[in-house]
Amino acid sequence: MLKGATPAQVAVALLIAAFLLFFLVIPVAMVIYVAFVEPDGAFTLSHFGSFFHISLMRESFGNSLVVAGLSVVVATLIAVPLAYFTARFQFRGALLIQTLGVLPLIMPPFVGAVAMQLIFGRNGSVNLLLNDAFGVSLPIMDGLNGVIFVEALHYFPFILMNLVVALSNIDSAMEESAQNLGASGFRLFRRIVFPLAMPGYVAGAALVFVKVFDDLGTPLVLNVTNMLAPQAYLRITSVGIEDPIGYVISVFMIVFSLLALWMSALALRGREYATLQRGGSSLARRTLTPAQALIAYTWIVLVLLLVLTPHIGILLLSLAKVWSFSVVPDAYTLQHYSSVFEDSPRMIWNTVLYCGVAAFIDVILGTAIAYLILRTRLPLRHSLDFVASAALAIPGVVLAIGYLRTFRGIELPFTGELLTSSWLVLVIVYAVRRLPYALRSCMAALQQLHVSLEEAAQNLGAKQRRTLTRVVVPLMAGGMLAGFVTSFMTAAVELSATIMLTTSQSYAPMSYGIYLYMQSAAGRGPGAALGVLAVVIVALGTYLSHRLLRSRALDVVKQI
Amino acid sequence: MIIQARVEAQNIAMSYGTNVVLRDVNFVIEPGEFFALLGPSGSGKSTLLRLIAGFNHAQAGRLLINGADISKVPPWARNVGMVFQNYALFPHMTVRQNVAFGLEERKLPRHEIAEKVRAALSLVSLSDYAERRPSQLSGGQQQRVALARTLAVEPQVLLLDEPLSNLDAKLRVQMRHELRSLQRKLGITTSVVTHDQEEAMTTADRIAVMHHGVIQQIGTPMDLFDSPMNRFVADFVGSINLLPGRVEQTHGTVVFESTTLGRIALARAPFRSGPAEIALRPHTLALAETPSDSTRAWLTGTILDREFVGEFVRYTIKVNDRTIIADQPHYIGRPAHASGNPIYVGVDPAQITILPPAHPHIEP
Repeated sequence: MLKGATPAQVAVALLIAAFLLFFLVIPVAMVIYVAFVEPDGAFTLSHFGSFFHISLMRESFGNSLVVAGLSVVVATLIAVPLAYFTARFQFRGALLIQTLGVLPLIMPPFVGAVAMQLIFGRNGSVNLLLNDAFGVSLPIMDGLNGVIFVEALHYFPFILMNLVVALSNIDSAMEESAQNLGASGFRLFRRIVFPLAMPGYVAGAALVFVKVFDDLGTPLVLNVTNMLAPQAYLRITSVGIEDPIGYVISVFMIVFSLLALWMSALALRGREYATLQRGGSSLARRTLTPAQALIAYTWIVLVLLLVLTPHIGILLLSLAKVWSFSVVPDAYTLQHYSSVFEDSPRMIWNTVLYCGVAAFIDVILGTAIAYLILRTRLPLRHSLDFVASAALAIPGVVLAIGYLRTFRGIELPFTGELLTSSWLVLVIVYAVRRLPYALRSCMAALQQLHVSLEEAAQNLGAKQRRTLTRVVVPLMAGGMLAGFVTSFMTAAVELSATIMLTTSQSYAPMSYGIYLYMQSAAGRGPGAALGVLAVVIVALGTYLSHRLLRSRALDVVKQI
Repeated sequence: MIIQARVEAQNIAMSYGTNVVLRDVNFVIEPGEFFALLGPSGSGKSTLLRLIAGFNHAQAGRLLINGADISKVPPWARNVGMVFQNYALFPHMTVRQNVAFGLEERKLPRHEIAEKVRAALSLVSLSDYAERRPSQLSGGQQQRVALARTLAVEPQVLLLDEPLSNLDAKLRVQMRHELRSLQRKLGITTSVVTHDQEEAMTTADRIAVMHHGVIQQIGTPMDLFDSPMNRFVADFVGSINLLPGRVEQTHGTVVFESTTLGRIALARAPFRSGPAEIALRPHTLALAETPSDSTRAWLTGTILDREFVGEFVRYTIKVNDRTIIADQPHYIGRPAHASGNPIYVGVDPAQITILPPAHPHIEP
């Protein structure tokens, strides 16, 4: 039932467009504009010149690229063997690997970073043990290494899941005909399996690169400031919102994000490589020889231990009375939890409020956009999808700077309070940043709803609105709820924009609270307790949205 | 209490962009008639059906129900009931709620709805399934629920989009009978879309054969089979042999002449003299080792291949420069002719149909 636009549809489309315009397009455009413009309005590249003149900036740029790149490398090293084991071998550990693919994602990297310090840092558990036993210490967490390690450990599932899907889409007939023609072993891998799996890998790798490049929270928590995102934050907060360097950095971050996402999209389009025919089956699975089994399981156990360290670490930290210079805490207490619930219930409530409202907005917008795209012939409707999804390419730091600049001086009606100093701006930035997730869930839900159901309702006499309320929405409910949950939980652990936009503790959400707490030695306990709470929320949310969508393959890849 | 509606299409033309989907379509469905739209995929038949239901709009032409132009009436106000190919049962509602849907939209009082739902379900013999969900029903049962749901609102026209294509073979035959007897019992004007010529022939009162968006011929099943008006219809409905030649009027008799057949006097007069094609149904040809029946025109040929279908044996025979197909009924004890053997093929002039050469308007 595709017809031309009705006035109601046009009105809805215009409202959505206005929202995206004011809260995404204009702030980002403003940032780019300021980077290229003199105070008097003339076009200039001098800001870029100044940027490259400052050695700290050059160093940060290089560091960001290196860190993002090496994170991809380390993530690949972790993920590829796991993907290979899953796809290639008959394997009882398959479930284990799937768990490995989910565990890291439920712990926000900046939360785990502190725990990793305690375990892998200079004076952390591992190095203490190594020192005692062998007299060596590994600089795993020093400076940039720490960032790379934490990020790779958190983001490798993106590569793992994409690769597993890509490998399982390769029809065994491909391999068999290659073998029939004489190829085997490594040659077979190199000429058949690898090229066919490549697009999946590139898609995952590009996303890991973007996420690491843009991450503000993890470097800050680890006290690493010579990278682009922390520098942008520091320049804006110390020198001021007029400082052009912050904008220059933002432009670089946008460019790289767009480049990486574009590469990922290109790679996925080439996924017409999915060759699985009707009646075909995936790559034949071999059984493991005892030697291979040993290697496989050893690797899996190692990775599992690594993956669990931040989780265990944060748990221990939240329960530790004192923990320094010792392998495990010296004494335990529940005090941190009680102090969190006594002193900072406000922060928990704030998170629930802001993220709840933002997720609600996202679901409404997501459903509306999905309906406009899939069920109408409104001209330019695909641009709504495009712009809304473009929010994924905009780093949190950049959006925050854009808001600070665009909305400065704007007062809220009735209160005279500045928009940028109120909690409303947090709700807006969460809604904009997390809209792509809700949109995907809603699109998937609506796509599964065959249009003949709506036509049947109309044929039986139901007008547009009745068809929506009696047929469409009830059947989309699962997907909408999943979208709400995903938006909510990813907003709950958002830190990049939050740090920049929260000016007072009184309305700070949980993520900001964790960040503040972690800055002092005494605050680490309660900070960890809050962190555990955050992990529980994310874990619950992931589980809920799995159940609601009832489709595993869709889910993890789409959490990107 | 079904209103028997008359459906008429006048000069309907429809395109999607530059793609022409329906070209100058004209037809009438008489009140109470079971009318089939028959054609291969892409012929425009489903588009036409959806036009009647209101899910498409034609760029030109008019659609009338009982004389009133309904082109501007939205789907929910047309009172035209449609059963979709995939049934489109609402998965979040029970059978009862599905069937009640249309009645609820008409704001009927509760007890009346309950009564109509009960009647509709018993009409399709599914009274015991009222509390089930669509996912708990078989394909045939789902279709009957879809039918009940549509009939419950007593529409003036019933539209069925490929109703039997999702059912397995045995079920198809059974449902064919059920649909036909249901339609006769209710007397509702019905239009069915199908690509299966056997389905159309066995159920419909009249059939419109469509190809590339154009109606090729409208007629009763027997009309279409015995007197196809062009090559497409001749070939689509049943199997056919086509031989080129010329029609001539000589001394009051009409003669068909071709390199294969020689000269043969025709029993039925075709349209005009000139180049034409002769259509021979395989089952009307006689095969013999020596020609006996003098009322037939006999051709010599060689058997290339044979297929044992069960009720008949299908022979592929080379006659001069052509290959023709002949079906011979099979009985126990009757041996089949061997491949490679010479054979005589007997043509009965009374069974011949003449087709015009390809007409630019009808076969694009």
